[in-house]
Amino acid sequence: MTKIYKYLAPALALVVLSTATLIYALRDSKIEITQWRSIARPVNIRPDYSGTVIPPNIAPLNFLVQEAGSQYYVKIYSQRGKTIEIFSRSPKIIIPQGAWYKLLNINRGEQLHFDVFVKTEDEPWNRFAPITNQIANEPIDPFLVYRRIRPVYSTGETSIHQRNLQNYNDTPVLTSKSVRGVCINCHTFCNNRTDKMFFGTRSKRQGSFTVFVQDGRMFKLQTKFGYTSWHPSGKLAVYSVNKVRQFFHFARSEVRDVVDLDSALLYYAVDSKSIKTSPKFSAKDRLETFPTWSPDGRYLYFCSAPMLWTDQNKLPPDLYRQVKYDLQRISYDLDRDQWGQLETLLSAQDTDLSILQPKISPDGRWLVFCMCDYSCWASYQASSDLYIMDLKAAHETGRYDYRRLDCNSDQSETWTSWSSNSHWIAFSSKKENGLFTRTYLSYIDNDGNTCKPILLPQKDPEFFDSHLWTHGVPELVTEPVKVKGEKLARFVRSAPKIPVDLPITMATPGAKDAPVDTRWQERE
Amino acid sequence: MLNPFPKLSGQILARQIRNLLFFVLFFLYLWLSVDTRLVYHGGGMVPNFPVFFRGWEFFRQSIPYPGGLVQYSSAFLSQFFYIGWAGALIVALQAWLICLCVDYFLKVIAASRLRWLRFVPPVLLLIAYTRYAYHFVTTTAFLVSLLSVCLYLKAAPNNNLRRFIVFLIFSVVTYPIAGGAYLLFALLCAIYELLFTRRWQMAPLYLFSAVLITYLTGVLLFGVSLADAFGQLLPVSWQVMVYPERRQMILIPYVIYVLVPLTALAAGLWRILVSTNIEEKLLQLISSEHTAAPVLRWFGHSSLLLVTAGAAILFSYDIEQKTLLEVDYHTYRRNWPKVLEAARRHTNSFYVVHQVNRALYHTGRLASEMFSFPQHPSTLFLTGRRADRLLRWKRLDTCIDFGFLNRAEGDLAELLEVLAEHPVILKRLALINMAKGNLGAARIYLGALSKTLFYADWADYYLALIQSDPELSTDRRIQDLRRLKPKKDDADIFSTLHENSANDRMAFEYLMAVHLLTKRLDIFVANLDRLDDLGYSQIPRHYEEAILLYSAITKKKVDLHGREISQQSRQSFKTFFQTLESYGENKQAAFNELAKDYGDSFLLYYFYNRSGMKK
Repeated sequence: MTKIYKYLAPALALVVLSTATLIYALRDSKIEITQWRSIARPVNIRPDYSGTVIPPNIAPLNFLVQEAGSQYYVKIYSQRGKTIEIFSRSPKIIIPQGAWYKLLNINRGEQLHFDVFVKTEDEPWNRFAPITNQIANEPIDPFLVYRRIRPVYSTGETSIHQRNLQNYNDTPVLTSKSVRGVCINCHTFCNNRTDKMFFGTRSKRQGSFTVFVQDGRMFKLQTKFGYTSWHPSGKLAVYSVNKVRQFFHFARSEVRDVVDLDSALLYYAVDSKSIKTSPKFSAKDRLETFPTWSPDGRYLYFCSAPMLWTDQNKLPPDLYRQVKYDLQRISYDLDRDQWGQLETLLSAQDTDLSILQPKISPDGRWLVFCMCDYSCWASYQASSDLYIMDLKAAHETGRYDYRRLDCNSDQSETWTSWSSNSHWIAFSSKKENGLFTRTYLSYIDNDGNTCKPILLPQKDPEFFDSHLWTHGVPELVTEPVKVKGEKLARFVRSAPKIPVDLPITMATPGAKDAPVDTRWQERE
Repeated sequence: MLNPFPKLSGQILARQIRNLLFFVLFFLYLWLSVDTRLVYHGGGMVPNFPVFFRGWEFFRQSIPYPGGLVQYSSAFLSQFFYIGWAGALIVALQAWLICLCVDYFLKVIAASRLRWLRFVPPVLLLIAYTRYAYHFVTTTAFLVSLLSVCLYLKAAPNNNLRRFIVFLIFSVVTYPIAGGAYLLFALLCAIYELLFTRRWQMAPLYLFSAVLITYLTGVLLFGVSLADAFGQLLPVSWQVMVYPERRQMILIPYVIYVLVPLTALAAGLWRILVSTNIEEKLLQLISSEHTAAPVLRWFGHSSLLLVTAGAAILFSYDIEQKTLLEVDYHTYRRNWPKVLEAARRHTNSFYVVHQVNRALYHTGRLASEMFSFPQHPSTLFLTGRRADRLLRWKRLDTCIDFGFLNRAEGDLAELLEVLAEHPVILKRLALINMAKGNLGAARIYLGALSKTLFYADWADYYLALIQSDPELSTDRRIQDLRRLKPKKDDADIFSTLHENSANDRMAFEYLMAVHLLTKRLDIFVANLDRLDDLGYSQIPRHYEEAILLYSAITKKKVDLHGREISQQSRQSFKTFFQTLESYGENKQAAFNELAKDYGDSFLLYYFYNRSGMKK
């Protein structure tokens, strides 16, 4: 009997404690506000998820109420479905996932309202003007593959992560730690799917190589791919080789700067496992980079600038601030492997800005690119903004008009990725802090207008307040990366490299200079 | 028949007193001499010191790996190195627990004659800490593993199957906690079963199970590589081996790890091959021990232990390392008198002299006492040397002092890669970004800092200040840094110094020091009129020496704007040259005499490139 009593007391205590916790939790979730004072202005929340369009399949947009108070009450409702009610004693508003999904799903195309009430100790509840967002009809591709790196100056810990946008699951695809310090970058997918993937790796011990994953099979090519774009057929990929160098500014706010001392485009034919190039995009007197295919596979778009220096060892090179890239394209016949005429669509001379990182929507209509004051490295320039060009209209009129997107800020906006339905873009921006790149999502309507971008939602709305990593190269994909983690890491660590013959047509930096000072090639 | 027990209890008490005495001295030595605050601060020299952040996110990131719990808890405990006595206490407790576990294990395997070995790990730890080598995480993993062994030995039932089940239970608990160090547990259990309980069949079963558990849990459950599954937290892990800076005193964890299994193996084999009736011999030994004078023996053993520990400390003591760390620690806190005091112990280091120069400036003595230390043109800005981790760490505060914020930010970004999010780095990055007006970035660094244990107040203060005064107009340091910040992007250190020297005393004194160290007396003299602008009432000693020398060499009079060279300097200058001339061509012989009286003067530096000679 004594033994029973010995265990009975703690068990009883546990029951009492659990009941009390349950009562407390239930008390928090049910509240009725009968009297309040109306505040005409909308409530301040962070991240700013107000007055925009949100994907119908996005994870709950948890936020922080930036109003002084001791109790917070939020009602989230739309045309149909059950209102979500959240009562919280902290300004952190955590939205229940299940109810959120249901609400968004049955209200596609409708408005979503957030009523926020805040109570201070001595005063009645304050009800702020509601926040209203639009739920888009079109979902965003559910996965985002991005790169994590510190705002560093030379190589360091890097990783490729994949984030499920429908919830908060964020898992590493590959970390430099798992491959013993090898630096990982430039992940590329074909047609927003993950069955074909390239990414580059660099290390002093193992040299540079490219990992090619195709339908679960992995290959290690003994050459480094820079910016890569898959032909929509999946039969070839064009990539850049860049002699990237970094240098530093003594006084301006962004310390770092980058220049491509030389660059060119090459392409990898999957079936023949061969690498080729064309003098049309590997000219000795020009710097070609940022290739991207039109969705029909008939044109390769890329950026190109005249090389203004002869001394390839001087850093920064003379006239580096004068280097501005044009937007060019070249036609391609896949069946005959023939390249057509080179066209300059947009000249830096006309824009007086450097045109970089073109990306075409999967429906082929829109071309989004960024422009900055000079050079090839937009993310280190606050002047970098996103622009859009209507390719359909250009085809009809012959004029390649462009306009600045509304989603820009006074900090750098770079690197766009299109959702497979051509209605969403993910892009990198430093708008919040000027140093750490974050991923934003923005809706693009049928006229090519963007809506206020939303910061990639996190379970903890304060997550980014102390997050010391910069998130770059966001790529939207329709499915998760299948080959990842230790399986991929083991391959990267140990598999033999497949030697590839590089075409010797020019001062190909990849061919001649890849082993030289590779640490400087690693950037955001 | 002897009954040793009454005597044994006395012996146990004596042992406990010896243990207590040893660990109290251990604690005091770590607290008062080693000073764990220096390990925490690191000075760029302790690259594997772990970071720790409060909150669920950091816990969530740390745990899902083999050994994650040890890593997390070690990181937490290590933060208390920030408080000298607390850090010393934690290390002393760890050493004491290791000692207890080793002792217990040796007792269980009836290797009583080898029980003195229990003091080997603590002595080795003393050596490691004397050299400021940080292996706390590895030794904690070792301790957990050893603790599991002791618990297993205590709990293991006689029945083989039950024994195996107990082993499995301990395994599945120990592996996730201690990572690869779990293998030590498995190995010791196997050795014990093989050599001491003669359960021959259990040993291979245990070893096989250990490999299987490690593979299943590590590779399949945690999803780490095979190397990480087996090596995580072991001193042989690739994470240690690949980075040379993490291998400092790595021999010590190696010895600690192999000590117990080797001892067990040796004792077991001895028992099987040589001594068939060890219990009997043990009792004989005990009885024979107790026939001798126990007090004398206690004193003998205790003295031997303390002398060994003392000798180990003495031989591992590295004055340069300690001075470097101590100087850096006080420099970071801007405790200038302490910097100078610590630097006197070992001045033969560029880094120490670099910090000394800052301390001299901040105590108003740079222009009159800098040649009391061994100077070199590169000590002022650590120029002309390869920018490695240590150099970046040492020079960054000087850069901040002069407003070279971009350079300091660059160095800090590099250091962040090697030293991770050390609060000292985050604090400086926050300061720089506030000074540059990048409040968004500053908030993130402050946000991270506010999750640390000991820098949260500072961070919270500035987070509130940014909120209430976004211009930070009330913060004098930030305003000073903004004033000094280079304005032109194509400028460099010296052109900016020159520009700032008109109204910044530090820039002026450093610029003049550069001219003195490079012996550019013409440029030095040309800048003397700034003494007026900066409110110098007297000419500092080294400037007087340089002016006299310049006048003597060029036969030109220097306009001192009504100031006078002191009589003492004139006399000293005269005597210097008289002595120099008295030796004629034999400059070396003159040096020997001049060094005695002029070892702290610019004159000796000018002629012999030597300074800091006067004792």
